[in-house]
This record gives sequence, structure tokens and C-alpha cells, in this order.
Amino acid sequence: MTMIEQLPVINLLALLAMALLVPLLRGRSFKTTLILGLCVLLGVLLSSILILYHVHTEGAFYYHFGGHSPVFGIELLINEFSALFTMLIIALVTLVYVYSTGDATEGIGENEYGRYYILLFILLFSMFGIIYTNDLFNTYVFMEILSITTCSIISIKRKKENYTSAFRYVMLNEIGSLSYLFGVALLYMITGYTNIELVHGAIQQSWPLYSANVVTAVAFMVVGIGFKAAIFPFHIWLPDAHAAAPNSSSAILSAIVVKVYLLILVKVIYSVYGVTIMTALNMPLIIGLIAAVGMVMGSVFAIAQKDIKRMLGYSSVAQIGYIVMGISLMSVAGLSAAFFHIVSHGLMKAALFLAAGIIIYDRKIRRVNLFDGLGFQFPVSMFVFGIAALGMIGIPITTGFIAKFNLAFATLDAGRGIFIVIIVISGLLNALYYMPVLISAFLRDNPEKQRHITFEKAPRTMLVPVVVLGILILALGIYPDLIWGLLESAVLSLQ
Amino acid sequence: MSFFQSLLDHINYLGAVALFVIGLFTVVTHGNLIKRIMGINIMGTGIFLFFVAIGNVTGGLPPIIDPAEEGGTFINPLPSVLILTGIVVVVSITVYSLSLVVRIYETYGTTDQDEIAKMIREENDND
Repeated sequence: MTMIEQLPVINLLALLAMALLVPLLRGRSFKTTLILGLCVLLGVLLSSILILYHVHTEGAFYYHFGGHSPVFGIELLINEFSALFTMLIIALVTLVYVYSTGDATEGIGENEYGRYYILLFILLFSMFGIIYTNDLFNTYVFMEILSITTCSIISIKRKKENYTSAFRYVMLNEIGSLSYLFGVALLYMITGYTNIELVHGAIQQSWPLYSANVVTAVAFMVVGIGFKAAIFPFHIWLPDAHAAAPNSSSAILSAIVVKVYLLILVKVIYSVYGVTIMTALNMPLIIGLIAAVGMVMGSVFAIAQKDIKRMLGYSSVAQIGYIVMGISLMSVAGLSAAFFHIVSHGLMKAALFLAAGIIIYDRKIRRVNLFDGLGFQFPVSMFVFGIAALGMIGIPITTGFIAKFNLAFATLDAGRGIFIVIIVISGLLNALYYMPVLISAFLRDNPEKQRHITFEKAPRTMLVPVVVLGILILALGIYPDLIWGLLESAVLSLQ
Repeated sequence: MSFFQSLLDHINYLGAVALFVIGLFTVVTHGNLIKRIMGINIMGTGIFLFFVAIGNVTGGLPPIIDPAEEGGTFINPLPSVLILTGIVVVVSITVYSLSLVVRIYETYGTTDQDEIAKMIREENDND
């Protein structure tokens, strides 16, 4: 086993060790902690890139904890899929981390500043674990770590509404993860394994004999993950939770954490059950219909919102619909489009939350109708907000266009052309709530304009990540091939 | 008679599913936040019972293997081990949500979902 094959575990340990180091560094100035954290993130980013390169040149590899066989022990599987998505997650989190050094105090007490970073690193640790692991029960444990840390991040602000929305989040998430665990139990009952590959091998041939178990397990697992990933009818916790969280963590929750649950859904559908069983159970159509309803209803709810962060939260519900639609097509093209939209929505939603965060940081306003003329006072952040909002609508030269374009073609290939209508309607609805923000920001006059001539008072550490995100949205929108090949090989690496 | 026989044979599973449904019903319908946390615990217990019941082998012995003796049927110990982890996870979730309820009680002075929702609505109307 070469050194590179140890790196996944070293990544996990580095993130966990950093979380433990934060309280130990309490005596020093907070800058030391921040710089050390950045070093850890950059180190993990570097090793994730090395792993990705290694996987693409030498092929996928396994890591067995303690040398136990996968029948009893925990197994990590590092293939094109897990290597790519861990790399993307750490890259995006590094950007948000740099932003958060300027803004994390928003709503968090000075002495609790460190706690936010403890939670952030444990959050990253659990996301890496979920993506690396090749074990259903291990996924459950990491999922619980992830939901506890996300809830704690939401409730870290000492505000009334944070407690209630965190409570609702924890209750619905718990229903979701216990349902998932029930599905795992039903699979364990017929196969005797929790390892994804062994379960897959065992149920491929024999599933008609145990169809009752398999059907119930599919239902419990999909609904359970649906709760956690905020797929449409189970989304009610998302807008409150994401609106209440601190600005930089709203970006992480909406752009990354929800996507990690969608990646578990991909793993469950493609690696655990496989396309044959899912098609035989007619799941693609069911999931596709749910996604279609979500795409429309999420946007409809978003139109009614007055708070900018709640609006972005509901917009996430609609965008998750697109991704689930791509997953439900059961084709390489559909899944690649879904993966591309995972990346593009991650970039766009992070840019939107961070740009809105700069305005909330400076002006303390969150109502959409107070955005008049802000385009002149915050040229950089409102410009990036504009790029990302146009991307959400699906205007060409942004990543959003590429994602929707490929999704539309994939639905045609899968013989479900009717869904293209839904994609177009949802795009128009997106325009209905993003355009008014842009119009009032850039075209309306602000009565206070004369009094606020200072531009962009936010610190540089907050502006630079936002600009980088804006550039990435445009770059990937013009040259999607930069990442398309990696995404496609990630799709093919799933069984 | 065969119906009752199969009922008796699968009583572990039925009990587990019953607990799961009771727990789910409590979480979804009860207004009291503490009772909802209890519901989560009952749901969890149902699944744990289910897992442990899967590991049972008819006529099996506890898996304490004497190297001197050969053979014998043993109960599958793996589900019980998994469930140990599961119990720890549910305990930590319980602790976290109870601490949230303490905070909610401190700010709103009640643990009833409907009253809290009413207060929030009144606050929003005043805005």
C-alpha cells in the first residue's frame, strides 16, 4: 500500500485533529487558530487533488480499517466518484472559510467564535466520511454526526428563531435518518451484509424472492434521505434553518451539506440497488414526478418570500428538484447532468448567500424590497449576485445554463420529453423572483444614495472569495469541459 | 391457526414495527417538545429491536466461543455491535435536542409547539 492510499484516512484525521485543536489554542490570539485552520484546509485540498490524480492514473482502491474483511469491518472505497466530490467540497469550503474569517462574528458571541470552527471541521470530517465510506451503517453514523453539527451551527446564534428552527430541523432529520436505518436493517435481514458492494452483489439475483423486503427498504431509504436532502414534500425545515444560520454557514449548508445527502441518494440508487431493481420497481418515474413537483413548487414558494435568505432557501428546494430529476433518469447523461448541477448549484448558491451576506453584514437589511440602488453601493458583490442569479435562471455563459441544457437533453434521451416543459416553467419562475432583486438593485434609485458614497466597506477576505466564485461560475459556464470529463468518469465509476 | 402461528413466530419484528410506528406518531402529532423527543427515542428503540431480532438464530447460543469445543450454532453478534453504536448516536441526539428545549423554554417560557407558534406569529404581525 503506497503512501497515497493512506491519504484518505489522513484527511479524516487532520480534520478531526483540527477540530480538537481549536479549544486547545484558546489562550493564543484567534488569528493563530484561523491561520492553522486554513493550513489544514489547504493541506487536505492538496491531498484530495493527489488522491484524485492517483485514482485517475492507477485506478480505484480500498482501505480496510484494522485490516478486517469487508464482511465485518468498515471499508473505505476511493474511486473517481468519492475522490472528485471530496476535492470539490474541500475547495468550496476553503473559499467559504476565507470569507467567514471576516464575517463569522455575525450573531455569534465573541467567546463562541472558536466553537463555530470546531463545528465546521467536524462537519467537514463527517462529509468526507460519508463520501469515502463503502458501508451502509457507517454512512448512518456519519449522517448523524453531520446532522448534529449542522443543527448546532444553526443554533449557535443566540436568537429566538434559531432555536425553534434548529429543533424542527433536528426532529425531521432524525425521522429521516431513522427511516434510512430501518432500510439498512431490512437489507441486512436478507443479505447479512452492510457493505455496499456485498449487498449489491447479494440482491441482484435474489431480490424477487424477497421482494417485500426490498420494496420496503427502497421506500424507507429514499424517503429517509429525502427528508435530509429536502426533496420537495419533505423540505419544510430547510428555508427556516438556512435563513436562521450565520451567513457563511448558510452557504455551506445550502451549497454543500444538502448535496452530500443527494450523493448518498445517488449511492443508494446506483451502487446499492442498481438500475435493474430500481427500474423494475418503477422508482425512476416516482422520483422523477416528485422532482418535477419540487422544481415548480419550490420556485412558487420562493416568489412569496420577502426575506432574501428565505427566498434563497426556497430556491434551493427548486434546484434540488433539478438534481433529483437528473438522478431519476437512470442514464449516464442524466446523472452527469445532475452531477454538473450539483457543482454549479454549489457555486451559484454559495455566491448568492455570500454576496447577500456582505450586504447584510454592512447594512443589516434582509428584506428584498430594501435592495433599491444597492448595485451602485456594492458594485462587486451585487455584480456577483447578479451573475449567480442569472445562472439560477439559466442564462447562457453561466454554469446554470449548461446544467439545464444537458438535463433537458438527458430527459429527451430517456424518453420523458414532457419534463422539458417543467424545466422551462421552473426557469421562468426562477426569473420571477430573481429579476426583481436585480432590477431594484441596479435600475432603481436609492434615496439614501448621496449619504452612502463609500463603496464596499466589507473586508477583503470577504470580497475575494465572492469574486472567485463569480469567476468560477463564468469559467465553468464557458468551458464546461474543464470538469465534464471528471464528472462523467465519476458517473461511470458507480456500478 | 397458521396465521396465529406466523404471528407468534414474527412477534419480534411486529413489536419492532409497532414501536417504530408509535414513535413516529408521537413525533408527528404531539405538541409537547419533550414528548416529541421521546417519540424519536421510541422510534430508535423499535429499529434497534428489529436489528437485534435479525441476529437471532433459532436454537443458537450466545457467541462466547470455547476453543476446546468444536462446532455449535451461535447467535449473530454483529447486529448487537452495530446497535451499540446506534444507541450512542440516539443518546447524543437526545441530549442535543433536550438542551435545545431548555433554551426554547428559557426564551418562550413554554414547551408547547402550538403556543410557541402563536407567539412567533404575533411577533411577525407586530413587525
